[in-house]
Amino acid sequence: MLKQYPALRYVLTRGMWYLITFFVAVTLNFLLPQLGASNPVDLLMAKVSTGLDSKAAQEKEEAYLKEFRLVEIDAAGNLLRTADGKPVRTPLIKQFRNYLQMCLHGDLGTSFLNYPKKVTDIIFAALPWTLALQIPTILLGWIIGNLLGTLAAYRRGVFDRVVFPASLLISAIPSFAFGMLLVYQFAISFEIFPAMGGYAGDLIPTFSGAFFSSVAYHYVLPFLSIFLICAGGQAIGVRSMCIYELGTDYVRYAKWLGIKENKILLYLFRNAMLPQLTGLALSLGAMIGGALITEMIFSYPGLGTAVLTAIQGNDYPLIQGCTLLITTSVLLANFSVDILIGFLDPRVRAGHGNQ
Amino acid sequence: MKTELTHKCIQGTLLAALLFNCGTGRDTADKAASFPRAKTFYMGGMQCGAPNTFNPLNDLPAFPVGAPMNLMYEPLMVFNTLRGSMDPLLAKSYEITGGAVRVVLEPRARWSDNTPVTGADVKFSYEIGKRFKESRLANIWNFVSDITFDSVLATDGTSRLCRVHFIMNKERNNPLQILDYFQEVHIVPAHVIEPLLTQSNNDFSAFLKNHDFDQNPVVSGPYNLSNFSAEKIVLKRRDDYWGNAVYHQNRLARPEYFISSIFKSNDHYSIALQQGNLDVSQTFIPRIWLKKKKKVGTWFAQEPFYPPGSIPMLCVNVTRHPLGDKRLRRAMAAAINYNDISELAVSGYSPPLKPGLILPFGVEQKYYSEEDAVKYGAVCNPGRAKEILKEAGYVSEFDGQGNLLRMKDPAGDIVPTIFVKSPVGWTDWEIIVRIAVQGMRAVGIDARESFMDAGLYNQNLQVGDFDLLLFTPSGSSTPSKPWSRFQATLSSRTWKPIGDKMNENQGRYNNPSGPDYLPAIDSLLEIIPSLPENEKLAAYRKLNVIYMQEQPTIPLVYRPEFFYEFSTRHWKRFPTEKDPYAPPQCLCIGAGTNALWEIEPVDGQE
Repeated sequence: MLKQYPALRYVLTRGMWYLITFFVAVTLNFLLPQLGASNPVDLLMAKVSTGLDSKAAQEKEEAYLKEFRLVEIDAAGNLLRTADGKPVRTPLIKQFRNYLQMCLHGDLGTSFLNYPKKVTDIIFAALPWTLALQIPTILLGWIIGNLLGTLAAYRRGVFDRVVFPASLLISAIPSFAFGMLLVYQFAISFEIFPAMGGYAGDLIPTFSGAFFSSVAYHYVLPFLSIFLICAGGQAIGVRSMCIYELGTDYVRYAKWLGIKENKILLYLFRNAMLPQLTGLALSLGAMIGGALITEMIFSYPGLGTAVLTAIQGNDYPLIQGCTLLITTSVLLANFSVDILIGFLDPRVRAGHGNQ
Repeated sequence: MKTELTHKCIQGTLLAALLFNCGTGRDTADKAASFPRAKTFYMGGMQCGAPNTFNPLNDLPAFPVGAPMNLMYEPLMVFNTLRGSMDPLLAKSYEITGGAVRVVLEPRARWSDNTPVTGADVKFSYEIGKRFKESRLANIWNFVSDITFDSVLATDGTSRLCRVHFIMNKERNNPLQILDYFQEVHIVPAHVIEPLLTQSNNDFSAFLKNHDFDQNPVVSGPYNLSNFSAEKIVLKRRDDYWGNAVYHQNRLARPEYFISSIFKSNDHYSIALQQGNLDVSQTFIPRIWLKKKKKVGTWFAQEPFYPPGSIPMLCVNVTRHPLGDKRLRRAMAAAINYNDISELAVSGYSPPLKPGLILPFGVEQKYYSEEDAVKYGAVCNPGRAKEILKEAGYVSEFDGQGNLLRMKDPAGDIVPTIFVKSPVGWTDWEIIVRIAVQGMRAVGIDARESFMDAGLYNQNLQVGDFDLLLFTPSGSSTPSKPWSRFQATLSSRTWKPIGDKMNENQGRYNNPSGPDYLPAIDSLLEIIPSLPENEKLAAYRKLNVIYMQEQPTIPLVYRPEFFYEFSTRHWKRFPTEKDPYAPPQCLCIGAGTNALWEIEPVDGQE
């Protein structure tokens, strides 16, 4: 089937696998948080129940269970009860069905801990900050790192002797430690950059020069904390790839033929780049989870802390919303790189065509 | 290559700009883009995470809508934690008469839409708990049977005043609890909320999702909501606030803007305070004395820096053998090094611990008896702990290095390890537990730490699934202290067996159908709230003596109700022990709010 359209066939098979992966991931997203013994309503109750006696606390708890559809109700909206008067818990499979139904309507539910806020509201308020910090930083780090690494491998000499150890050093520093060092040095000791926040405390987000320049000013340290480490890591990876490629027959042959250096460098770059592309896809996909540490250190607005507090507070709907987002972005990023590599690298396409 | 790079850069920048647009378009209510420092007051630590809702009937609304903050919505009266008095706010005064608590409303109180705050508003606000069982206010109706209001002639003979009568439930004659509600329950505008309730067909949970309160809500307090995002909540001063004339000699609160900054960890609040980007913070900052050179101050200039307000303690599950044995509980109380806990776990922010459930300072001091504490209380004395264990027949075996191997009860059976549960990641609590365990093991009690998920911890606490567990019963400073602390620790009123949830006395002490039931405890708890003041001391002493003899829980340390630390870089004349014109309630709680009219900008600008 579709033998005559290998490219389409390639895209479709990959797509099907990703769809299956997506479904498994959604099921796991739903199940994993619920497997623990604790219950988000218990956490809510701990805050709400101070000063209530046991009976009032029980009524309050049942109202929450009902609100979050964790217990069964009859047609009149009353709780169904077991023989000993306890509310009947909604079976997991039914909760899963409700969850899927809501997801299909684009409704990720109401957060438990931020009740009555919608999960989608929380995510959409925080996501722009995460994306605006992570995407340019990762892309720039990737591009600059790869350029430096390729140059270092090709030029060798002094350039390599500086770039390689520097990259090795920087990429070996854990990102949280690097971030904290930056804050300590530039925000606390020298006080030249702000220690926290996405914009100055005396501003509110508006379309104004003051706001955007404040955002840019607050961008510097978080940007550096991700960019340098990302670039360093990329440089090391691509350098070794290039050195390997430099030893291959096609490069030696090209040199013997007297082909221009820049042209050889381009061939080299294209070949060394393939595994790096996969790496880029992975880091773009994982950026929402990875944003957590940067956001914590710089108290930067974004989704990372929403994920963390949701997990700490067993806020199932918020956890599920965030993991759904992470799953989708990892899968999408991988899928696009798969397709991209298919087109960039004739070997991959050919391999699939022969299956 | 170069063009590709430039292209990507441009793409990235465009994307970033685009995304900012989406992020900022949502929550802009006020066009003012910046706040002059000399007119803006920054506070932190009252709001964790992005604001959820400003609906005043929600259980846990965002700052400052929740109790006991009174910047937007106000309660009838405010509690002054310094003097122990109920200070007037929406109500001028209260009196407790047989069977009812009456308040006289302040006739000049106005909503922000210039309608008066009436007895109907008060009745409406409290009756939310009667109409909707799922409301937190439902509990009030266990203590109040009816609320009525009438008008009386004022002393000047011409104007009329509104009196509201809270008729007490005869079975629970408890004026103290009603005073608690006076300073906690916010009065809301009936003429605004009733139509909204009707709009949602009187479905309370549908009403709670109402977003009408996020913009220009009708409030009675000195500030109103101006703008909010996940990073801050901005309140703007209401220059037509009715209280300026009534309580503040026609002056305005000094800060024009009150901003609650939201950061992601305690460290950020600490740094912001030291850099002068916060004026007041309500966060735990270790070794606060080192921040003095950064112009950070606290209520007391020396230890304990913060006035104590609550008692974290070990809850003992007396149904688990051998914890039902009070000799063992007393040995535990004598084994723990409370000084270490104060110094190592809470940075010294606790005065020396005294036995019993009454705070030996401040408002509760008048009920405390040093004589009883010396006579009946357990203090840290490991030698004495060992003696108690020996007298009771417990035998502990140690190895050559002094490590505890096992403990046997008086019947000669090995005592299973006693686990102390505490939420994981609450670092100060973890250290408290470690020190307590260390002390107990040293005298031969086989205890171990058990740190667990906070959700599971709360569930375990209520159903009684624990041996020992660290908790703070009734931690807020309210007019009903110390009674409510005793009630939360000892009451068998709503006794339920292990496995069912209890919201007080979770250790299941004093089972009403058990052989050792002490009816004195429940009857004292029942009568103390309605006793005349001169008889309260004797009753409290009796109750505290029983508590010390029985040791149903083990108090470990004192903690402040609110951490209150301020920076004097931009504002000065914060209330302190030396200048106690307002209680240390972070300038937004109870009577502490009055300080907003007294602080002064440092640079002298108005």
